[in-house]
Amino acid sequence: MEIPYIVTPRKDTGLFNSKIAIWLFLASEVMLFGGFFSAYVFLRLGADYPWPERTLPVLPGLINTFVLIGSSVTVVFAWAALKMRQWRKFQLFMGITVFCALIFMVLKGVEYSVKLSHQAVRLQDFTVIEGHLGYEKDGNQYVLDHNGKKIEENLIYIETSKVTFSTVRFHKPWVEELLTQAEHKKTKITLAEDVLVVTEKGKPQVTIAKAGETLSVDLLNRIQKAHLAARSHNGAYRTAALRREWKIAKANNPDKKDWQLASTVSIDTAALEPQLLTEVSTVAFSVNPPAALDFKPRDIKEADGQSRLRDDTVIEGKLLDSPMVFHHVDAIDFQHLAMRAVKKGDDPIVAIENSWLVKNSPFAKEAWEWNKLQVAKIEKKLLEDYGINEATGKPNREPTLKERYRIGWKDFVSKATGVDRDSADIKIKEEFTGPNYDGRGEETFPEFSLPREQVSFAAKFTPAWNTYYALYFTMTGLHGLHVIGGALVLAYYLFFGKKMYLENPEWLANRVEIGGLFWHFVDLVWIFVFPIMYLM
Amino acid sequence: MADSPEAIKKAVRMYMFIGGLLFLGTILTVAVATVPAFDIGIHGFDKWDCILGLAIATTKATLVAAIFMHLNHEKKAIYWLFGSSFVAVTSLAALTALALGDPIFDAFFYSGR
Repeated sequence: MEIPYIVTPRKDTGLFNSKIAIWLFLASEVMLFGGFFSAYVFLRLGADYPWPERTLPVLPGLINTFVLIGSSVTVVFAWAALKMRQWRKFQLFMGITVFCALIFMVLKGVEYSVKLSHQAVRLQDFTVIEGHLGYEKDGNQYVLDHNGKKIEENLIYIETSKVTFSTVRFHKPWVEELLTQAEHKKTKITLAEDVLVVTEKGKPQVTIAKAGETLSVDLLNRIQKAHLAARSHNGAYRTAALRREWKIAKANNPDKKDWQLASTVSIDTAALEPQLLTEVSTVAFSVNPPAALDFKPRDIKEADGQSRLRDDTVIEGKLLDSPMVFHHVDAIDFQHLAMRAVKKGDDPIVAIENSWLVKNSPFAKEAWEWNKLQVAKIEKKLLEDYGINEATGKPNREPTLKERYRIGWKDFVSKATGVDRDSADIKIKEEFTGPNYDGRGEETFPEFSLPREQVSFAAKFTPAWNTYYALYFTMTGLHGLHVIGGALVLAYYLFFGKKMYLENPEWLANRVEIGGLFWHFVDLVWIFVFPIMYLM
Repeated sequence: MADSPEAIKKAVRMYMFIGGLLFLGTILTVAVATVPAFDIGIHGFDKWDCILGLAIATTKATLVAAIFMHLNHEKKAIYWLFGSSFVAVTSLAALTALALGDPIFDAFFYSGR
């Protein structure tokens, strides 16, 4: 079947059909990305924390911009080559375009992986520490979790004496993890008391699990099965009883409406009781002898005495020291603390010097003192270059809040190598993958153990950390998907377009024009994403 | 749109020129953000850097749309189609902007007095 208007234009629109289609699609794309850009504006205007200005590495972003612009030029060259019936040239330019897409995605992948492994923590006083966490070790060997992954030194330790599971919500991998830990710590997790239940209507109680039985997923499943059967039976029984009551009430009061009867209809729960089965919504296990079990912070709401996992398992026992251990600290940020101090009318410098970190970490104190010297140098330079405003008596230009209150990884390198801010010798690789921690050593990026009670909020540099990163990942991720989609379409023309070219070269040229329009749009979006996310 | 071989050859030269302008625009945007000599307004990022950065980005986007996407000589139907999406985005953003003054975070508003 011949598809109409793929080469020749329609009379009414003056365009071939696929062109109308792609412009309709691009119009919807404008609205999609427009929504995100306006979300960015409003979230930034309404942010109640210091917006992370110029926080992303500029060099990879800049190279990606060049790559996309270059590919926009080559895709239009590829189209022009087809128009001039030069197949080889078309292949060359389209090949370069697809290769550019590949470079773009590789750089984006490196950028994402650096962010996803980089830890941030906000302390109770709003100081922010950034860096990389260490991993749990047993001698020289890394400890692995049940998924075979290394465990970060960011665990909550509880001297556990009792564990109570929700029979409906318990999470199987966590039960298995507890069992592994119990075996390792040479303790036993056993059922605290017999589970006695009525499993058949009107019959006496039977024991479905005996006190002292060792915890297992099978045991929990068995109790869950009895619980769900009882819940289902009891629910049906109560509903049937209520229906009967309604029938009686309606028969006795034929003139009354349902809403008038509602307050009078009820069931006698005590009378139903003998007919009901036993529901076992929770089941308790003893940990004997009590042992220090560990839990991931994201899985637990910890407290001394009683903590709760996300699957409603209650852990009873003393909360032990559970520091967050940074293998390398690579930034200290007082911007949020300073912002809050100013809001309260306090002197930010005094607030920083009284902060927990400066008072308790000699390295942080040293870094802060170094930073003050650097700020003084910037102030002096700005004064020399731009002078004083005659009217206000204040300097025309002053250091930024970031310069004043943030000590970033490049500053750590400057400090360690004894040079001024922004004068450190940073290797090209470090601009892409972050600092060379091992090469630069402990004196540049120190180890630091943060007591748990100081942690207010911790996250990797993921959408969880703040709205900036939420938008960064959403917008660049969505843009990246467009790059992949566009590259796949263009690669299809490159590798499978020859037959179409031989059959009707104008048809392929039109298709490449359509694919090219989408590709230019992808470039166009990046033209805004790059300055907004990387430079502002 | 260019269709004859001569016109296409001419257009290709134009594409190279525009590509060059886009590269220059990008370098200028980065310079505004990172090189002190190009830093207008106060020291560091401020509204002037924002305005200048977005002005360069808009110019670059216009060049891409006009030349690479051939919007400088397209059919009316496409202008209407594409233009209406910008109207929709601007209107929705404007509606959101109206909500900026909403007293949803105002304790007094919730107190019921």
